Amino acid sequence: MSEQTVRAPRPAAPAPRRPRKGTPPWVVAALKVLGLAVVVLWCLFPFLWMGMTSLRTGADALTEPNILRGPFSLDSYEQVVDLGFQFALRNSLIVATVTTLICIPVASLAGYALARLPLAGKFVILALTLVATLFPPVALVNPLYQVYLELDGLIGLSLLNSYAGMILPYVALTLPLATFILTTFFSGIPKEIEESAKVDGATPFQAFWRVVAPLAAPGVGAAAILTFVYATNEFLLAFSFAPADLNVQTVPVFIGTFERVGYEDPIGQVMAASVLVSIPLILFALILQRRIVAGLTSGAVKG
Amino acid sequence: MTANKAPTAARRRGTGLGERAMGRIFLTPSFTFMALIAFFPVFYAIGMSFYRIKGFDQEFVGLGNYLTALSDGGFYNAALNTLIFTVASVSLEFVIGLAFALIMHQAFVGRGLTRAIILVPWVVPTAVAAQVWRYMFDHNPGFVNAVLGTEINWLRDPAWSMVGMISADVWKTAPFVALLLLAGLQTIPRDYYEAARVDGCTALQRFWYITLPLLRPAIVVALLFRTVDALRMFDFAYVFAGYSNSLATLSVYAQRYLVAEPELGYANALSTVTFVIVMLVGLAFISRMGRQLVGDAAPRKERA
Repeated sequence: MSEQTVRAPRPAAPAPRRPRKGTPPWVVAALKVLGLAVVVLWCLFPFLWMGMTSLRTGADALTEPNILRGPFSLDSYEQVVDLGFQFALRNSLIVATVTTLICIPVASLAGYALARLPLAGKFVILALTLVATLFPPVALVNPLYQVYLELDGLIGLSLLNSYAGMILPYVALTLPLATFILTTFFSGIPKEIEESAKVDGATPFQAFWRVVAPLAAPGVGAAAILTFVYATNEFLLAFSFAPADLNVQTVPVFIGTFERVGYEDPIGQVMAASVLVSIPLILFALILQRRIVAGLTSGAVKG
Repeated sequence: MTANKAPTAARRRGTGLGERAMGRIFLTPSFTFMALIAFFPVFYAIGMSFYRIKGFDQEFVGLGNYLTALSDGGFYNAALNTLIFTVASVSLEFVIGLAFALIMHQAFVGRGLTRAIILVPWVVPTAVAAQVWRYMFDHNPGFVNAVLGTEINWLRDPAWSMVGMISADVWKTAPFVALLLLAGLQTIPRDYYEAARVDGCTALQRFWYITLPLLRPAIVVALLFRTVDALRMFDFAYVFAGYSNSLATLSVYAQRYLVAEPELGYANALSTVTFVIVMLVGLAFISRMGRQLVGDAAPRKERA
C-alpha cells in the first residue's frame, strides 16, 4: 500500500501529552479498561448462556431463568450425538473445504490477471467484481432448484441433496470477494521483484508461479479463511437444496431447523449442538485472527 | 502500457505464454463459473417469472406474476419488514460499532486480545446465533425477561419479535463494523490530533472535524456491506419465526413459494424483485464510492 507516502514522518518519541485538567490519569485508565470489558462482555455473554444451558437438565432448565442453577449433566450432548449431529459437522467440513479448494485457485488466477496482466477494460471488470459481491443468494435459490430438477429429469444427475449442489453455488458466490481481496494483495507486491525475475529469464508464468504466488500467501490465506467461514455459515441454499438428509445436511440447517420431538422443548440439545460447532470455529477465529482481519479490512482501508 | 516488451521477449524465446494470453486464460475459469452458476440462473429466473408453473404444466402469463405481487399484501409486508429491519439494525450497528472501535483505539493494553474476541460473534453461523437468541428471548425459561424484569412475549408479539431479531443481528454484526472502523481509525495520523490539541480543540471537535471526515471511506464500506447483508437477510428471520408474516423478509417470502407452497413462477418473480432491489441499493453505494474502492485494488500505474 502507499500509505507511507501520505503519512507525515512520525517524531521519534511521542510528544508528551498535556495533562488534562480535572481527570486524574488513573480514572482515564480505569475508564479505558472498563470500555474494553464492555466490548468483551458483549461478544462473549451469549456463549456463557449457551454453554450453561447446554449443561442444565430437568424441569428447571425450562422454567428457571437463572443459568447457574443445576442439576447439570452431559445428557443433552449424548442426545445430539444420538441424533447424528456428528454427521452434520462432517458435512459442513467437507462442503466448506471443497468450496475453498475450488474457489481459491480460480480466484488467485483472476486476481493476478486483474492486478498485473495487460487486459482491456480492467477497471470495469474490477467494478463488476465488486458489484457481484452484492449478489443476493435468494436470486439463485429458485432458478437453481428448477435447473437441478430438470437435470435430474433429463440426464439423471441429482444435485438436490448432494454436496455438489451446495458447493457449486457457494463457489460462485464466494469468487467475487475472494478475487477482490486477492487483487488487492497482488497489487501490493512490488512489481520490481517480478521484473527482476523476468530479467533473469523467467517466463511470465514462472514469474507468477515461482515468485509472486509465494509472496501472496498471506492474501491467499485471508481469502481462503473468509471463503471457508462463508461456506460454514450459509443457511438459505443449504436449507433449500439439502433440508433433511443427514448424509448431506450441514450444521446451520441441523441447528436452525431443529424440531421438537414430542412435548419436550429441545433447548438443551440445541445449545449442546451450538456449543459443539462453536468451539472449533472460535478456536479457528482466535488462531487465525491476523489473517482474518487482514482479509476483512483489505479494500476497506484506503492506503 | 509497461508490459508490452515482456510477451515479445517470451515469444521470441518460445518458452512460455505471453502476458496477454495468460491474462485471458487466468480469467476464464472464474468467468465461466460465475456465468454458469450466477448469471445464467438470474436470467433463467427472469424468464421463468413470466410463467405460471404447477408441477410440469407451464402457462405463459406475461407480467401476471409481477401484477400478483403488486396486489399481494404478503409481499408488501415482507418489503416493509425488510425495510424496518435494515434501517434499524444498520443504524444501531453503526453507532455501537463506532463506539467499540473508538474504545479499542484508545486502549493501550489488551487491544490485540479484544480484536481477536471481537471476531467470535462474526465466526459463529448466523443460524446458530439465531437459535441461541431465540431461546434467550423465549418465554421458557425467560432469560431476557428475567434480566429486564419484563413480562413480554418476545416470540409471539409481532412488534417485539422484530425488536428481538434486530437485537440478535446487532449483537452479531456490531463487532464486525467495529473491526472495519478500527482499521480505518488506525490510518489517521496521530499528528493531526496533536496539532488540533495544540490549537485548543475539544475532544468533541477533534472527533467531529478530524475523526469522522477521515474515517469516511471506512464508514461507507461498512455501511455498504451491512446494508446489503441486511436487505438479503434470511437466517435470523426464518429461525425466529419460520414463514410467519410477523418477521418474513423478502428473502424468506420468496423462498416460501419454492418448497413450502410451490408456485415456482411466482417465486421467481419475487426473487427477481429482491435481486433488483438489493443490486440497486448496492449500486447506489458503489457508484458514489466505487472509484475509491476499486482504486485500492487497481494497479498502481492506473491509479495515478
